[in-house]
Amino acid sequence: MSSAGRLGLFYTILRPEEKWLLAAASARGIPLEPMHDEGVLFPIGGAPPPVDLVLNRSVSHVRGLYALRCWEGAGVKTVNSADVTERAGDKVLGSLALARAGIPTPRTIVALTEDAALRALDEIGYPAVLKPPIGSWGRLIARVRDREEAEQILEHKSALSSPTQSIFYVQEHVPKPQRDLRILVVGDEPIAGMVRTSSEWRTNAARGATTEALPLSRELSDLATRAARAVGGGVLAVDVMEGPNGYVVHEVNPTPEFKALQGTTSGVDIADRILAYALEVARA
Amino acid sequence: MTNCPECDASVEVGAMIAGEIFPCRDCGTELEVIGTAPMSIERAPKEAEDWGE
Repeated sequence: MSSAGRLGLFYTILRPEEKWLLAAASARGIPLEPMHDEGVLFPIGGAPPPVDLVLNRSVSHVRGLYALRCWEGAGVKTVNSADVTERAGDKVLGSLALARAGIPTPRTIVALTEDAALRALDEIGYPAVLKPPIGSWGRLIARVRDREEAEQILEHKSALSSPTQSIFYVQEHVPKPQRDLRILVVGDEPIAGMVRTSSEWRTNAARGATTEALPLSRELSDLATRAARAVGGGVLAVDVMEGPNGYVVHEVNPTPEFKALQGTTSGVDIADRILAYALEVARA
Repeated sequence: MTNCPECDASVEVGAMIAGEIFPCRDCGTELEVIGTAPMSIERAPKEAEDWGE
């Protein structure tokens, strides 16, 4: 057992990132217990949990959030915390936090019905972007070019059974180069960045965008750090677009993948930096 | 040793742990290790709506 106590890695799928975290712990001689999210039970008011800190790597936002709440309720420390995960993992809550902190973000309107969403799209202007509040990898995001297309897309979205698909997050389409920027902030430090370039308008690495290293200027570092703080801080990937009036932060991701980022980064062992941060939180 | 739920081929998970995804060598189906004691595999889960970063 380390002086940081017992550490757990809560995960859904063992991707390279989770394997690197386990390897980083092993290299430091720190036990990091793999905890598959399909098998963990949370007895309310029951026996003490088997860990003192959990590093959340669940790919399911809802599953991860409930698990974090249960652990925190039992006195277990978490990275990221449930509050940060909830705020950053929900685009509506994330945008509210960024706006409150004065971080430049794309113009956004939230609408709760199909009719209201049409009005929001008209107000934002076409083309606009329609996103579900929860989810990533560019899934179920639509670029809406005109009102006719908006009506068709909204009709399709309304047919989906999930209640969150009926909350409409309408955002201006930022005219930008075919790329966006990602900066990983760990604690209060931006540790690595990359440029994601794509021939399509969505520039997610998960959608096949090509990636290259992003030198972190003071301006970008400050912006990313402020954005991470705005949602509560922790291990956060800040996504930035280069708009006509400067940088805008469009997302802060609370359980970031970093395989592509590590591939473009030299001199920084991202998994080890995340683990070191988790150890700091555990010892605090 | 266990069997692929798609094609019934024998599958060896070796040192893998729960949550690892791998293809069946015979039919290529993506499989997930569910447990190792006892050994259990299933078809890999499809992305859910709330999956992401």
